Formats: sequence, structure tokens, C-alpha cells
Amino acid sequence: MAVKKDYKDQQLAEKLRDRKYYIPDSNPEFIKDVEKIGQTAAHMCYQCGTCTGSCPSAPRSSYRIRLFMRKAVLGLEEECLTDPDLWLCTTCYSCTDRCPRNLAPTDAIMAMRNLAFKRDIIPRNFLQTVQLIYKSGHGVPNNDANRAARKKLGLEEEPETTLKYPEYLPGIRKILDHYRLKENADRILAEGE
Amino acid sequence: MSGNNHQYAFFLGCIAPNRYPGIEAAAIRTSKNVGIDLLPLKGASCCPAPGAFGSIDLNVWYAMAARNVVLAEQMGMDIALVCNGCYKSIYEVNHKLKHNDELRDGVNEVLKEIDMEFKGSVDVWHLAELYYDPKIVGVKKIADSIKRPLTGAKIAVHYGCHLMKPSKERHFGDTENPMWIEELVAALGAEPVQYRNKMQCCGAGGGVRGYDLAHALDITNEKMINMQDVGVDAVTEVCPFCQLQFDRGQIEIKEKFGVEYGIPVLHYNELLGLAQGMSPDELALDLHAIDVEPFLKKIL
Repeated sequence: MAVKKDYKDQQLAEKLRDRKYYIPDSNPEFIKDVEKIGQTAAHMCYQCGTCTGSCPSAPRSSYRIRLFMRKAVLGLEEECLTDPDLWLCTTCYSCTDRCPRNLAPTDAIMAMRNLAFKRDIIPRNFLQTVQLIYKSGHGVPNNDANRAARKKLGLEEEPETTLKYPEYLPGIRKILDHYRLKENADRILAEGE
Repeated sequence: MSGNNHQYAFFLGCIAPNRYPGIEAAAIRTSKNVGIDLLPLKGASCCPAPGAFGSIDLNVWYAMAARNVVLAEQMGMDIALVCNGCYKSIYEVNHKLKHNDELRDGVNEVLKEIDMEFKGSVDVWHLAELYYDPKIVGVKKIADSIKRPLTGAKIAVHYGCHLMKPSKERHFGDTENPMWIEELVAALGAEPVQYRNKMQCCGAGGGVRGYDLAHALDITNEKMINMQDVGVDAVTEVCPFCQLQFDRGQIEIKEKFGVEYGIPVLHYNELLGLAQGMSPDELALDLHAIDVEPFLKKIL
């Protein structure tokens, strides 16, 4: 006769049987969203911890990539998306390179960041980059000291990019506007002031 | 343009042209000396920054990077670039769109609004890999182009992250202890030195430099300690963003943590420029936050 692992406390047994979603506010769709956006089978994670062990952010903060992977599987959307540690990943991809399950924890983090942004949760510096690119095409635009240095080098003051050819800017703005990115960046930044 | 040279559309990115223009000037001249012509990629934009844009909405990242690739497709030319962050955006999006029809269709729908179409007809290369590739340049040709060997200079190599990782989507092989950039450094007559945790990130990526500077600098600081331990005259990299993090970062580390390293930071193209006989003025080395003079004294 097959022995079934069980607990005397029937309530606990029931709770533990459903190993994935035992917290009332967990969202089983969350892991599916993370996997779709991140294009990685995050639920295959067996929690070995190679990712956290490879992470340059782990030794100097409470950021734990393994924890995020588990929370994603458990559907703890709220916890993941509102955790300030979500933004401490430097996207170095060391975890992704070493993952024995061939997963991309880095891309799972990127997916969670995308989902956080949909709820207006995003550090200000990310949005400021959007504003800069909308304005000039560059995240790090030119300045006068640099123009003088370029001239001394025999380069043109403006590089051969949107800075020299601003006629390309409307195209870039159209792409950003398609996703309403500038509009949302402006709004979120204004609300935070 | 000389007929036998390899020609590439030169994708500049942001930090090289707008903060360290010496890298741009050096890349064009040093490449010409080894048979590569870098032609302007007119109207290119930010790659866009993979950490910032990828974190906000990957779809925008795909579309914006694809626009830059399409500019090169219209020239009928492969792209060459000098920054790991740009490599992540431009190489990886090009690669993904070539192999994923659904993604490509989505991007093309947006690009249609600006009369563009991603066709998948060009490849994307980092200049460093073209220098190493014997079919294009090769270490020997680099060595042959040297007029002023950097003899006696001990140089740490920082590979950065996005050139080689994630290795599944790349073609560089070992990412735990690669040695190919060391070979390129040795070709300049310098001595590449090994140091602890060489492959660690500079700390700047993923938007972390802007989000939590002290955290980013703490990662940088660990790298500086490891480099100082083995006594280096300079650190070289192939990524202007890493360069910014190490160069300005050392000033910020001094302000925040009270420690000073004074290790000059030079992009590989700047090193190559010096070794090929370019003057410090021709490389705008005065724009560096950390004084390059001690290193120049050693080699000039």
C-alpha cells in the first residue's frame, strides 16, 4: 500500500498539499507574466542559490535573486513589485550564465521591473533617461565642455547621431509615443514631486 | 577609403562621443591603421540604455534598438561599436529579432509608423572582437601596428558584463576566466595582470548607478581593491560606461568612503592609440577624472 505523506492537522495538510499557492493574496498569473515577458521558464528554478552566490549586489544588500525567483513561483506579486531591492540588480548576467537549470534569472527580474512600471512603480532615474532620449535622442547628451574637446580632437562638435541630424528625432519620438512612454514618464515624475 | 579595408557602420552610443570623445577619435584612427574603416551611422540614437529601457518596457527597448539597426541595413553595412552596453542592445535585439518571428512582427508594426522595416540583413560586432578575429584583424596585425610599445606597464583588464554575458546568446566561449583581451593588451607590449574576481561587474549597470550610487560604488570599490592588491598601472576596458564608473567613480569613492586609488582608466582604443603613437592630446586624456599622467610617464 502506498504511503501518503500527510499531517494530523487537516488544515495544515490541506495548505501544504497545495504547494504553489497557499497565501490567499497570491496571484497564480504572476509567474506566467514573468515567464512571458522574461522569456524564461522561471518555474523550473530548484532554488539551488547559484544565482545569489554569483550576485555582486547580494553581499552588500538584502537583495536576493533566489528569493525573487521563489516569490515569483508562489505568485507573490505584491511583495515582488513593491520591494525596493528589485532595482538593485546590475543586470550583470552572472546568475544567468551559471544557472544549472539554464534559466535567466536576470530576465525574470527585468520582467518584474516591466510589471512594476505598469503600476507606476519605477525609480526616478529610469524615467529621467526617457525624458533625455525624447529630447535629444541620447541618454547622455552633449555639453559645451565636450563640444570644445571634440573640436580640439578634429571631430565635429556634434557627433553623427541625432545630435547632428535632429531630423531623425520625430521618428524616435513616434516610437516612444506609440508606447506612451514620455507621457507616463512625465506624469509619474510630476506626481512624485 | 582604401579599397581593401573592411567597412563598418560605426555606432557611437552616448558616453563615448559625449563624455570621452577621445575614444571615438581613437577608434576611427586606430582601426584605420589595422584595416578597418568606420563610417558614420547618421541619425543613430542612444542604443537605448539596456538597463533603463529594458527595465521599463522591453518592447520599447526592442523597437528603439531595431531603429538603429535598420539605419545600418539601409547603408548595407554591418555595425561596429565600442561599448558593452550598446553591444547588449544592438547585438542582442538584432539577434532576437532575427530568430523570433513574433517579436520581429511586433517591432515592424511599430517601425512601419516611421516608414522603416527590420529585415535582419546585417550583423553587429564589438570592435574588440574584430581586433581579435584573425579573419578581420588579429592579434599579430595589432602588434605590427605598434610604434610605441607600452613596455613595463602592468594593466588590469576589466571585461565588463554585456559583451560576453549571457553567453548562451553570444559566441565568446568561456566567461569565467577569458584571456583574449589580455592577448590584445600583450600585443601592445604591456603586461596584463590577473586579479581576484576579474569578471565581477563594475557596479553601474541595470540603472543601479542612478538608483543607488553608494551601492554601485561599493561594487566598484571591491574591484579597485582587487586591482590595487596586484599593483597595476592602469585598468583597461571596452565599455565607456564601465570607464565612467571606474574613472569618475574613484572620485566619488573618495568623497563617500574616504579611500583613494588613483588608478588611471583607459578604454582599449585609447591604449591602442597611445601604442600606435597618438599623443595624449589627440586622445583628450585630460578629460579623464583620474590623472593619466603617472601612467604616461611610465610608457612615454
